[in-house]
Amino acid sequence: MRNIWAIGRREFSSYFNSAIAYIAITVFLVLVGICVFYADDFLDNNEATLRPFLSWVPLLFIFFLPAVTMRLISEEKKTGSLEMLITMPIRDVELVLGKLLGAFMFLLMTLALTLVYPVLIDYLGPLDWGTVIGGYLGLILLGLAYLGVGVMTSCWTKNQIVAFILALLICAVLYFIDWVVGTLAGSWGEVFAHFSFKAHFDNIAKGVLDTRDIIFYLSVVILTITISTFSLESRRWT
Amino acid sequence: MSSAEPIQKDEAHQAAKSSDNVPMIEVNNLRKFYGPVEALRGISFQVGRGEIVGFLGPNGAGKTTTMKILTGYISATAGTYRVAGHDGYSESLELREKIGYLPENAPLYPDMGVTEYLEFVCRIRRIPKNEWSARIASIIQRCGLSAMAHKDIGDLSKGYRQRVGLAQAMIHEPPILILDEPTSGLDPNQIVEIRNLIKELGKDRTIILSTHNLPEVQMTCTRMIIIADGRKVADGTAEELQQAGEDARFITSIRLPDNTTAEEVIQQLEALNGVAKVENMPSPAGHFRAALTANGDTDLSDEIFQCVTSKEWALTELRRDIVDLEKVFHKLTQY
Repeated sequence: MRNIWAIGRREFSSYFNSAIAYIAITVFLVLVGICVFYADDFLDNNEATLRPFLSWVPLLFIFFLPAVTMRLISEEKKTGSLEMLITMPIRDVELVLGKLLGAFMFLLMTLALTLVYPVLIDYLGPLDWGTVIGGYLGLILLGLAYLGVGVMTSCWTKNQIVAFILALLICAVLYFIDWVVGTLAGSWGEVFAHFSFKAHFDNIAKGVLDTRDIIFYLSVVILTITISTFSLESRRWT
Repeated sequence: MSSAEPIQKDEAHQAAKSSDNVPMIEVNNLRKFYGPVEALRGISFQVGRGEIVGFLGPNGAGKTTTMKILTGYISATAGTYRVAGHDGYSESLELREKIGYLPENAPLYPDMGVTEYLEFVCRIRRIPKNEWSARIASIIQRCGLSAMAHKDIGDLSKGYRQRVGLAQAMIHEPPILILDEPTSGLDPNQIVEIRNLIKELGKDRTIILSTHNLPEVQMTCTRMIIIADGRKVADGTAEELQQAGEDARFITSIRLPDNTTAEEVIQQLEALNGVAKVENMPSPAGHFRAALTANGDTDLSDEIFQCVTSKEWALTELRRDIVDLEKVFHKLTQY
């Protein structure tokens, strides 16, 4: 546990050692604002709702979160510092969990900053804070699953950009899988809907808190952590 | 109670003594393939407590690969190894706790400050938090980093980054240090400082260091292991390696009496038991100097001394010639 915390802490604080994190958060918040208030005629609809927010943030996350995770392990592979970290008394799974924790803290901080939008909307008209809580819980779970995918692809390559693109593709496919496959294969769409990030997110965002949705996201996180750990361990297989 | 004390002390003393005989590093027939390439072809060696062992070899000989296996970064294809009594496979975590490792080129986090980084290492190394500041202050002072303590690692020169790498390897006071080219990229003054630091540390722990620099090994290490093409080709002290495989050579100087010529002396010396060759060497007038090569590793000094004294010549020099270590290295690593 202490190793996970040590690595998570270091990762979280290293986000702020360069200006990139500040720029990324600012751009993300501005984009969310533009999408929420302008893309769907929100201001003309005359309804105080979090719906546009909850439909846009998952899409923006597909770009934003892979950018958060891309360097986590790939950069250490490239510079060689991974060797230093791995030869310390740390289990490979602790290393992966620590990296994920660092990115997760960054996600929580970003989400906390987006609270400015529900507050703004509430100022325009009364907002149902129950849906806000449900929506944020959904975003946290969805975001964590995206981060898991990002950590996993970051384990696969030395190249941050490759890690970013792979994570983005996987997240996009998983988000839209029911829509993509559903139109093509009819009844198969129902099967694939079970693997869709979007379908599970929509359930939670509607305020329907079903353990199946929560278990789904946690399963994705556990799966990506497992694959990441195996990827790291693969250096020992000869 | 008090009467039992001396016995306990004695037992503890004996236990400590017997643990001295247990090798801190024990490597048995280690082999490593990178795909089809065989990087290590069965390497075995042992390193005891208090030894500073220099790993020598040409580029690509397998020095770094061996170190990466010992520190648990990669695993061997075959063979076993134990470090501080811990098996390399089943007790990897315990093993890593006992090792301080400086990989080649000291890959650190450039965006972290020196002190911040050492705190991170303290946390991972499970050093109690109330000891951090004292430990960090002492290691920063020992590694000559005082002026750099508040800088970012990325802003440091290669030499200082190397020192931060050494500091992180030593901060938990491990019994074993594994250093991959600890002095590469340092200027001559820094090399001397790091060398002295390593020597001082080596008094009570086990150190393996790799280097291309032969004088460094002679000055720092108590023993050297030479690796070439994935095999161990030599293992011993500098003196042992210098003498191994070479015919012994002795240098002698004599002050010549007026009635004696150099030729006469050469004749006398050539007649001695075990002498293969006598080479006249340049010498001041009235003196004679020669190099005598023995058949194999025979000690000629007694023979020479007796011959010279029986003739009542004045002996001014008699010593065994030291073979240049670079020649030994070259000879052993040619393939």
